[in-house]
Amino acid sequence: MVAVDGADGLIADVTGVPHLFGGDAELRDDLHAKLEHAGLGVVSAIAETRGAAHALARHGGGAVPEGELMAAIGRLPVSALRIDSKTGEALSRMGLIRISDLAAQPRAPLARRFGSGLVRRLDQALGMQPEPVAPAAELPHFGVRITLPEPIGLQADVMAGLSRLLERLCGKLACHHMGARRLRLVLHRVDRETAHVEIGLARAMRDPERIAALFAKGVDEVEAGFGIDAMRLSAHITEPLPPEQMGAGPNLRHEDALADLFSRLGNRLGFDHVLRLLPARSKIPERSFLLAPAAYSEAEAPPRRQGPERPIIIFPPEPVMTAAFHQSTTPPARFRWRRMQFTTLRVTGPERIAPEWWFDDPAWRSGLRDYWKVETCEGPRLWLFCTPQVSNWFAQGEFA
Amino acid sequence: MTGYAELCVTSNFSFLRGASHPEELVTRAAELGLASIAITDRNSVAGVVRAFSALKELGRIREEGLADVGHETNAPMIRSQQVTDHSSRQTITPDPQENAPQISSDTPLPRLIPGTRIVLIDSTIDWLALPTDVAAWGRLTRLLSLGKRRAEKGQCHLTRKDLLECCSGMVLVGLPPDPLEAAHKLDVRGELQAMSRAFPGQCFLGAAPVYDGRDQIRINRLGQLSQITGLPMVAVGEVMMHRSARRPLADVLTCLREGCTIDNIGERRLTNGEHRLKSAIEMARMFHRYPAALRRTLEIADRCAFRLDDLRYQYPDEAQDGEPAQDRLARLSREGLHWRYPKGTPAKIVARMEKELRLIGEMNYASYFLTVHDIVAFARSKGILCQGRGSAANSVVCYLLGMTEVPPESITLIFERFISKERGEPPDIDVDFEHERREEVIQWIYERYGRKRAGLTATVIHFRSRAAIREVGKVMGLSQDVIARLSSQIWGWSSSAPGEDRLRDVGIDPADTRVTLTARLIGEIIGFPRHLSQHAGGFVITHGRLDELCPIENAAMDDRTVIEWDKDDINALGLLKVDILALGMLTCIRKAFALLAEFRGQHLTLANVPQEDPVVYDMLCRADAIGVFQVESRAQLNFLPRMLPRKFYDLVCEVAIIRPGPIQGGMVHPFINRRQGKERVEDLGPAMMEVLGRTYGVPLFQEQAMQIAVVAAGFSAAEADRLRRSLATFKRMGTIGDFRDRFISGMLARGHEADFAQRCFAQIEGFGSYGFPESHAASFARLVYVSAWLKCHHPEVFTCGLLNSQPMGFYAPAQLVRDARDHGVEVRPVSVNHSLWDCTLEPRTDGKLALRLGFRQIKGMRKEDATWIVVARGNGYPDVESLWRRAGVRPDALERLAEGDAFAALGLSRREALWAARALRAPKPLPLFGSDSEGGAEPEVILPAMTLGQEVIEDYLSLRHSLRAHPLELLRPQLHDSLPHDRLPTETGRVKVTGLVITRQRPGTAAGVIFLTLEDETGVSNVVVWSKVYETFRNAVIAGRLLRVTGRIEREGQVIHLIAERIEDLSSMLATLRRPSPPDVNGGNNDGTVPPDSKSAGNSARHPREQAKKLFPSRDFH
Repeated sequence: MVAVDGADGLIADVTGVPHLFGGDAELRDDLHAKLEHAGLGVVSAIAETRGAAHALARHGGGAVPEGELMAAIGRLPVSALRIDSKTGEALSRMGLIRISDLAAQPRAPLARRFGSGLVRRLDQALGMQPEPVAPAAELPHFGVRITLPEPIGLQADVMAGLSRLLERLCGKLACHHMGARRLRLVLHRVDRETAHVEIGLARAMRDPERIAALFAKGVDEVEAGFGIDAMRLSAHITEPLPPEQMGAGPNLRHEDALADLFSRLGNRLGFDHVLRLLPARSKIPERSFLLAPAAYSEAEAPPRRQGPERPIIIFPPEPVMTAAFHQSTTPPARFRWRRMQFTTLRVTGPERIAPEWWFDDPAWRSGLRDYWKVETCEGPRLWLFCTPQVSNWFAQGEFA
Repeated sequence: MTGYAELCVTSNFSFLRGASHPEELVTRAAELGLASIAITDRNSVAGVVRAFSALKELGRIREEGLADVGHETNAPMIRSQQVTDHSSRQTITPDPQENAPQISSDTPLPRLIPGTRIVLIDSTIDWLALPTDVAAWGRLTRLLSLGKRRAEKGQCHLTRKDLLECCSGMVLVGLPPDPLEAAHKLDVRGELQAMSRAFPGQCFLGAAPVYDGRDQIRINRLGQLSQITGLPMVAVGEVMMHRSARRPLADVLTCLREGCTIDNIGERRLTNGEHRLKSAIEMARMFHRYPAALRRTLEIADRCAFRLDDLRYQYPDEAQDGEPAQDRLARLSREGLHWRYPKGTPAKIVARMEKELRLIGEMNYASYFLTVHDIVAFARSKGILCQGRGSAANSVVCYLLGMTEVPPESITLIFERFISKERGEPPDIDVDFEHERREEVIQWIYERYGRKRAGLTATVIHFRSRAAIREVGKVMGLSQDVIARLSSQIWGWSSSAPGEDRLRDVGIDPADTRVTLTARLIGEIIGFPRHLSQHAGGFVITHGRLDELCPIENAAMDDRTVIEWDKDDINALGLLKVDILALGMLTCIRKAFALLAEFRGQHLTLANVPQEDPVVYDMLCRADAIGVFQVESRAQLNFLPRMLPRKFYDLVCEVAIIRPGPIQGGMVHPFINRRQGKERVEDLGPAMMEVLGRTYGVPLFQEQAMQIAVVAAGFSAAEADRLRRSLATFKRMGTIGDFRDRFISGMLARGHEADFAQRCFAQIEGFGSYGFPESHAASFARLVYVSAWLKCHHPEVFTCGLLNSQPMGFYAPAQLVRDARDHGVEVRPVSVNHSLWDCTLEPRTDGKLALRLGFRQIKGMRKEDATWIVVARGNGYPDVESLWRRAGVRPDALERLAEGDAFAALGLSRREALWAARALRAPKPLPLFGSDSEGGAEPEVILPAMTLGQEVIEDYLSLRHSLRAHPLELLRPQLHDSLPHDRLPTETGRVKVTGLVITRQRPGTAAGVIFLTLEDETGVSNVVVWSKVYETFRNAVIAGRLLRVTGRIEREGQVIHLIAERIEDLSSMLATLRRPSPPDVNGGNNDGTVPPDSKSAGNSARHPREQAKKLFPSRDFH
């Protein structure tokens, strides 16, 4: 019977327990020893009432022998009574600083001035009003199992079993408005060995058929040995998933399909390697987009772009060889890039982009850049830039 | 090479947009050799006068520079970067920028085109409006006034319709949205054509390069648009800063405007620094296909012939009933003769009056005098005390008209200081009014002249270092903690960014790039204008419409309208201004006079207070002057026993000498030595003695310094005045050097000693930043005398007046009350059955008066509640509930009263009263439930009694003072090694004292020395902290409330100083007073209980120092 008590405490109803340990003090010692072993520093108190224990635990701790409640908590400040700080301050302005000051006062005037909350807390602490301990309900466990009368070895049989398990698991998930993000299938073999198959999902889901499809590859690789006689399926990572309207239209199906693709790719390549482009707000070309794991991000429509055209491909700057004597800030007439020789046909520009001065980007240490759109006689339309301070040329993109 | 005129410049007077001062822009334009520069702020002309003055300054520098070529610094000052130190009123100018501008001397300086950028609320096109003549300027300012008056403060709502109505005579340059981005091309075209139909030949199309690689296409597009609409294209630069180095600052300003941090500014930042001023060559390169666009800028600049000096300002004609102003002035002055001199006028005064009237007639200032006269007459008729200050007291006419109170025979009058022909500057009559009733005068002026003719001048609110640190820190994403630590290290309003050692002091790594970047930006942004506010009371009044001179906008306060220019701008343009200033002491004196009339039947005015009363001077000689006007400050209190004033003129000197001017000039010691007879007054020859005779051969007043220049150094009057002004406006070695050499060689040539000459000049230099004219000192000395007389003869009346005029003066109510009690005044506590809102007097059986504190002393009390309590009092209130029922006072106000112990007269202690007040929860009694309802009989509750320490603390919390005991009295047993302050006079050597900090000061004149005033139950002591000691005990000195100071006693006459050697912060001791049990002598916790306000008690726990700060605030003057 343990419940959470405030933001920083636990409360347990230990009625009839201490004698098992030999008394209140021994129970506390045992508790402290165990918790300290677990690496937790704690203060605890045992008292007749929940209120008194709460107060004492936050003001030194200790065990209160039966019948000495008032003596034990009377010296504590009124703020120990679980009252808000405003009431506490108002009380202290009246000179009612300790619980003993308060306990001596008639209840009716107190309630009139500070509300019934204060009186209730006081009575709870002194045991004049009951206050039971209500432990929190346990979280649901999303796991199902099946024991087979005969060992099975065929992939199709395992899949059939799996689909039965999934049916039940998904029903349970739906019941709690949850969806699975990761699932684990444990196969118990006759020879007491176990095999595991684990899959991830690109988004929370509880659709048995689509989940089953993802298991196919894993199940295929399992060594069945002398046969499998039990299966256990659990969804160990779940997310809230409210019930969905049926047949929400092609848009939703499209999203589902994309999520299936991500799941499929993610299970093969790892979810961290399936990336998607997200827009970012920066005038620096290489920072005007972000790469994020597709399964853990939402697609975002790119904002309507204003300003000059950007190349379709942007790559990290690659040096461009120009004639040694070319020191001008206008593009060179001929240059080499990726071991190819180019002759400039037409240029437009320059677009001047200065670095983000508040952010020390090593790539931009050479100062501002003048970007030029260079059409070459050879065909490619390149995005070149020059750093006027050092007069070097680089290519950073290619237009379609 | 073709020339170029920049027509689109946004200065930082487009608040939070422009990133350069107008002065910087103009200087840079001169450097680049531009033909003209227009200052076009968004719906504002606030920055043009600064640019105008800067250009004038550049011209002057060039003129002088041609004679003296070796000149280094030749940039005009940026006015808003000057900072005035509040304790010494000295103006500190930041160091000139490292890179002095290189203005080649053969190109002409650019011309300034004042204009504005009109941003409409219903259009995407901005228009640059550049007036071509005065009439157009008037129309422009009227248009802006219209937009501003209809919007709230700082905003301007203008529509296309407004624009179509009043733009004749202006050049209009339309700035359409980027043609490569915008969707509504047709709208733009239609709008442009509509404007050009309305104002044919005046409209142009502006084309600005953006540097995004598409400028040629853009300019081509705009060229096409110009072809279609028929608006000729002109090149503009869309300038936002004078150099591209200001780009970071511009981005920070964008963040401030948009309320974001620099890390998520995104695409709102400037892509590059190309919104800077550019030279003609650069612009020609951008517009190489459209040379006409460039040429047209010059044509437009030529058309805009309007210059700010063209503003002809006409003062209202104060003729009344067909009587011309000059005649009326003469008549009123003659009437004044009879009034001021009922026993017959000295011939000298009549002659002076005639001479002044003649000069006023020649200069045509009669109306100005009459305006001030009428204002003063109005104030008199309403019983509002007022008195002229400043140089106006030099004028007999002002005295005769009742504007000033200083009898002309008591001081040397130098009318030329007030009005001079050579100077051609308008006279400046400042009048002080009671601070509580000044609003009546202001509203009367609005009523009399109308809002179209009268407006308050503006004050530009700048980024000061604390605000700058907070705001820039927030933008740069520094944590609250770091920002707080940064700004905690700023003492007062300093003018510079925190230095590296300061950063290290507070535990911030100066090598952190973010922090250094922030520190640099803070340095740059300090001095940037933030918004416009209203000036203390400078009125500009015109004959014609004021809004044709300058835009008028709404002020934050109701019923006030403000023009866009500040007082320096107005000076630069030669506009007359009447200063309606507020002075707390006048309120205090008026209230004291009223009390005297009520309780003593004595009817006094400023003029008939008994003169030259020796008892009053005896009191001042004892330095018993807390609360007395001007001489209550620390420095003055120290000086009084040395000065030993015996007559009115001594007070004039006293007021004038404790000023930066005389102090920096080293005039204080010679003066006092000669006065005390320790030093002989050296004879400087008859000419000099004429000037300096009455001040023992030491120049104290502004006029004297100027006269020395004339008499001793052979300057002409005009030169002397130019010297004064060049010191005031341009305090840099470069230009002063000439004057200095001439002054000193002039004095040497006339047989004065070099040392004396040096000192004289040093003093003139000091006066440049701040010194009193004799007339001003005399006006103030009058108030010193009157307030001292009141304090001397009627201390209870005087204290009552002071308390009722708070906040004002140097001391907090606690010190004033204490001082009154020291003078034998009975001070009675606030009581619901006796007090009014204001403090009052109550007769005692022995005929004396006791001072009854009013409800205004209680923190958080509202005047309205107090009024109700008084009205419904009848025969007194028997209990707390009756206040609630009869006076309808809300329970929270009852609690305030209980906290202030105002129920003590009912036999209720503070806690009992609180207990009773707490029971009344409803804001109003329910109509049907009388006192005999269910809540009637309550069981008796016995609350723990408060200790004396708690009572004192509660007194301080609610009333800011305590009549019970001084906190130090209660702590004394724990401070056995500290000396009570009253024993200091008999001690010598090294001592320890402990006291509450009342004031801390760091005068700019004292080279980093800090003066602390400590108070204990026996008196106050003065502590001097040298800067070295300050560095060691910095935190204690800045933040401590209760300090223990170990130091040496230093004595000078009656004045005792403690030179601090060691300072300890004992503020935490104050918290021990709050404990329920009396503080233990041994300092231990006697019963081992947890104190209620320890950390565990919830969020009410604070650092002891924080608590002390709330309890015992000090007045800090930086």
